[in-house]
Amino acid sequence: MADESISVVKVRDVLMVTMPADPDDASVSALQMKVLQMMEQYEATGLVLDISAVETLDSFFARTVAETAQMASLMGGRTVIAGMRPSVAITATQLGLTLGSAMTALDVDRALDTLTDAGQRGNSHER
Amino acid sequence: MEHPDGQDRQAEVTVLEWEQRKDFVGFTDDDALLLRDLCSLSEAYADEVVEELYRQFLRFDETKAFFPDDATLNRVKALQKEYFLGLTGGDYGQEYLANRLHVGRVHQRIGLSPRWYIGAYSIYMQAVIPRLIGAFGSDPKKAQRTIVALLKIIELDQELAITTYIAASEAVIARQSREILEISTPVVQVWEGVIAAPLIGMLDTERAQQFMERLLTRVVETRSSVALVDITGVPMVDSRTAQHLLEAIAAVRLLGAQLVLTGVRPTIAQTLVHLGIDLEGVVTRASLEAGLRFAMESMHLQDGSRNGRQ
Amino acid sequence: MRASGAIAMNAERAGEVRIHSESDIVATRRTVRTAATQLGFGLTDVTRIVTAASELARNIFLYAGSGIMRWEALDTGGRIGIELTFEDRGPGITDIEQAMEAGYTSGGGLGMGLPGAKRLMDEFEIASEIGKGTIVTAKKWHRRLGDSTS
Repeated sequence: MADESISVVKVRDVLMVTMPADPDDASVSALQMKVLQMMEQYEATGLVLDISAVETLDSFFARTVAETAQMASLMGGRTVIAGMRPSVAITATQLGLTLGSAMTALDVDRALDTLTDAGQRGNSHER
Repeated sequence: MEHPDGQDRQAEVTVLEWEQRKDFVGFTDDDALLLRDLCSLSEAYADEVVEELYRQFLRFDETKAFFPDDATLNRVKALQKEYFLGLTGGDYGQEYLANRLHVGRVHQRIGLSPRWYIGAYSIYMQAVIPRLIGAFGSDPKKAQRTIVALLKIIELDQELAITTYIAASEAVIARQSREILEISTPVVQVWEGVIAAPLIGMLDTERAQQFMERLLTRVVETRSSVALVDITGVPMVDSRTAQHLLEAIAAVRLLGAQLVLTGVRPTIAQTLVHLGIDLEGVVTRASLEAGLRFAMESMHLQDGSRNGRQ
Repeated sequence: MRASGAIAMNAERAGEVRIHSESDIVATRRTVRTAATQLGFGLTDVTRIVTAASELARNIFLYAGSGIMRWEALDTGGRIGIELTFEDRGPGITDIEQAMEAGYTSGGGLGMGLPGAKRLMDEFEIASEIGKGTIVTAKKWHRRLGDSTS
């Protein structure tokens, strides 16, 4: 059950993760390990988390994402969260959730653009 | 029961509340029995009473207007007769309630105000009471109890009529308010990748919520990188408003876009600082124009560096 | 898009989910999502309610091991709402006030649950007794001026 529904694909030197609509805690935790392993394996310099299908983003999910971004950064990669839904963004804001050092992008295309830009053009959430 | 707009179809009065109302006026099963005993009598005088009522309706321009032709008049008279017979039907439960609620909604929809159909109840009683007293001639006590029972059920009916009328009117007002809100806080695309939303007036929680939802939706729809929110038209910013603005800024950032606050006048700037609002990382500009310039510069830079890569 | 307003005669007005395992947190979210949507809440409000439920369900699983979530449709004075109750027989909360302070954690790194859920809902009550358990009740009502258009 753990990581069967979360696909991780390598696109050049970026890892692309497509999150399903309502992943359970175990899948989210398993994903973190899988991503880090693949980052090492492929020497990826970036990670894109496509959450356009995600309907609920609670504190557990947010914390795991923030942790993953931090871990990825330690391994030399930047993280971009792509495609957050308006209703999810509003709820997350009201909840006071942060995404750590992860950047955000409107969609996967922009996310990839952000990661291939020389400068730090993306919207970082780090203070 | 279909409401024409298909909205707000929840019962204005629940079955539980209906029971409570009956309890309050003291409408008991005895009353129900007394009224059912009236059944045959009311069937006998129903036509006459309806005629008297509509004679009155046709005397006044305001009510006459609802019956433009004979076909309408006859149809309504038939419905009215059914309604009056319902008063003495003997059953005053859920179905009765649903039926009466429907009547109220219909009246609101056609624009017949309570003033007229409450008045109709009065005419009904004036027509019915003498007939009742006549029928129960030998038993004045029973006549009295029956009249009181009739008064109770009519009073309950009037309450329902008013409740549904008010509820239906409020639904219309709510819908119109929503539409006004949408018109008064438009979100327009001013350039490729840039949307602008002028905020006018005070921002209460409800308005802020609506605004945020529309703003974010438009950001996604237009695939914009910058959302210019102009607060020139916001006379005053209190900590609540500032909080709403900060939330909007954070939410837009989560989408991957940037909210630029424009039209920050000196007094507002002072207030924000005095309130201790942390605007770290928030881009602000004094005018919408300046905000647009910033937006285009930042997008141009983005494109520039990207093109440079190719 | 709003669900067509009325609570149909045979639609559910209450339900529950037993929380024993981690996968029950997802089950809670799904049940609450269906319920809130059926009651005509707009998308953003549904998201708030489901997220609050997720936090509270996880709290039960992590701190009490097992418990139950109940939901009930509210209908008073023509206003529709939803009530969520999270009940467990866990260790109870020593200091509720402290637990409600944002960011408070008791190890495990999870501090969002209670204050977060409270922020998302309209009414929020918590009763707890050491050694006996905890009951959290949260309500959300339809907003005035109609629902969200998103």
